[in-house]
Amino acid sequence: MAFLYDTQSLFQRYLIKLFRNPTLLGTNLFTPLLFLLLFSQLLQKFSLFLPGVSGGYLAYLTPGVVVLNAMISAPLGGVSIANDLNSGFLSKMLLTQVVRPAILLGRLFTDMLVVVMQSIISLALAIALGVKISSGIPGVLLILLTVAFFELALSGIFLAIGLKTRKTETISAISGVIFFPIIFVSSSMFPVSFFPAWAQTISNYNPVSYAANVTRELVIGGLSASTVFYAYVLIGIIAIASFAATLYQFRKVIS
Amino acid sequence: MPDIITVEGLSVVYPDGTKAVSDISFGVKEGEFFGFLGPNGAGKSTTIKALTTLLRKTAGKVSVAGYDLDRSPREIRRSIGVLSQETSLDVDLTGRENLRLQGRLQQLHGKILEERIEELLKLVQLEDVGNKPAGRYSGGMRKRLDLASALIHEPKLLFLDEPTTGLDTQSRVAIWEYLEGLNKKQGITIFLTTQYLEEADRLCRQLSVIDHGQLVANGTPSELKAALGGDAITLTIEDSGLRSRAKEILKTIQGLTNISDSEGGIVAYAKNAGEIIADIVTALQASGIRPSFLSISSPTLDDVFLRQTGRRIRSDELSRRETEPFLV
Ligand SMILES: Nc1ncnc2c1ncn2[C@@H]1O[C@H](COP(=O)(O)OP(=O)(O)OP(=O)(O)O)[C@@H](O)[C@H]1O
Ligand SMILES: [Mg+2]
Repeated sequence: MAFLYDTQSLFQRYLIKLFRNPTLLGTNLFTPLLFLLLFSQLLQKFSLFLPGVSGGYLAYLTPGVVVLNAMISAPLGGVSIANDLNSGFLSKMLLTQVVRPAILLGRLFTDMLVVVMQSIISLALAIALGVKISSGIPGVLLILLTVAFFELALSGIFLAIGLKTRKTETISAISGVIFFPIIFVSSSMFPVSFFPAWAQTISNYNPVSYAANVTRELVIGGLSASTVFYAYVLIGIIAIASFAATLYQFRKVIS
Repeated sequence: MPDIITVEGLSVVYPDGTKAVSDISFGVKEGEFFGFLGPNGAGKSTTIKALTTLLRKTAGKVSVAGYDLDRSPREIRRSIGVLSQETSLDVDLTGRENLRLQGRLQQLHGKILEERIEELLKLVQLEDVGNKPAGRYSGGMRKRLDLASALIHEPKLLFLDEPTTGLDTQSRVAIWEYLEGLNKKQGITIFLTTQYLEEADRLCRQLSVIDHGQLVANGTPSELKAALGGDAITLTIEDSGLRSRAKEILKTIQGLTNISDSEGGIVAYAKNAGEIIADIVTALQASGIRPSFLSISSPTLDDVFLRQTGRRIRSDELSRRETEPFLV
């Protein structure tokens, strides 16, 4: 009971903080929308090479942009815990009767909510531009679930880094450096068939591709159970590994 | 009254090998206003962190609020309130929201919590700015809000780590008054660390002086002062070569005790300081030594500190005290 209460209290805290920092929230929301508008216009001719895709390159791009939301929000939790560590606020929380895992869980729920809201906005823009979500409302729900799960798995990596280094700069640097290669060398933004062989190989193992492929099959059509299965297994493995690291670092910090 | 804190042989060594606290022992009685006095780096915060379960001790036996530190850290946390040295508030949240979060984490709910928030905002005189983000508060206001949040669950034991360092005179006096009220009216036991002698002198009924991780003196402020043997006589002798000779001469004077070096001169103590001062001047002049400055004052905790450690506590603060009291 206390665990739920504490998780809710901290969820509210983080949510208030996010909404009191509209610039951060705004840029996080704006980047995927910009990608969607920019690439769908600049690379319009890609549609010619995607004859099987109804809706053309815009429809192809939409899932990638939705997945992008997860990647942009994933570092937020790590930054927040590093800030709380440095400001002494984490110590202050640890001096209360809080059920300690709630400190992490509250944050994870906040970020998942943010990702879901951002993804809805991205999808809404895509729909406004003419994309049809072939799988309908249930498909949208599964898209949101997939994106939230992907964000959750990735956020564990940044939480562990934040707890270990206590530096928000490290998190920004790491996420900044890996962000573009893993986004672009995946099936999320551009058709993989355009890539040279080595990039196709990387893309085939890139988790971003898996998350994007599930979302793409839900948008364009042709959903197969195996795509969903492999994506969820892979994201699940990332989640287990990243949260093992996070919990290990968290225990070190709180003891 | 039973002891609410007992510490036996507490040592804390940091992972990098720093011995911050070495084998200290003391007790704090229930209802006490206990002071832990020491200069920068003495080990005050380290001791507080160990007693409040934040930092793992290296050795020793500690009980807080009736619970063993090793066995029942949760129970200890439930019974204590802590104001840490670095003010820790969520600057994005308003004063009320900060208190609400703290109260919820202390497992308070609903109407009881809301009433407690208003009560505390009134106590620390922040009810008018309760809906303003704490990031826009002044240093003194933040300290007061932090103090209020430490009190939200009505702890019977309060740890305060340098609650007034860096505050102006007004804020400092305000905090002193809240603390006196909490201790006298509500019977809350207070464990306070400070580097300000006047703060310890005014607030604390029992004191421990800590330096380099070790306790160097214990007692009530008046006991500690009385142990010096009377009023403080301070002589300033510019020529440092003459100082040791002057000390030898002073040692021959009856009734003068605890003769020691002080910055730029010598300090000694005497019960009948007014009478003895003529003897001092005569004896020194006979040897051709003329002190450039000579004063008699009732001993302060600074004299206690000087006596125990050979140094004055924060001489920069003391030298400024004449013109701008307390201002840091
Ligand atoms: N995390 C740490 N790792 C290593 N050494 C530390 C750490 N924190 C404090 N110390 C060292 O331990 C000693 C005691 O520090 P502490 O913070 O307890 O002093 P303090 O009495 O609170 O001083 P101040 O009045 O400046 O707050 C100092 O020598 C300090 O450098
Ligand atoms: Mg300190």
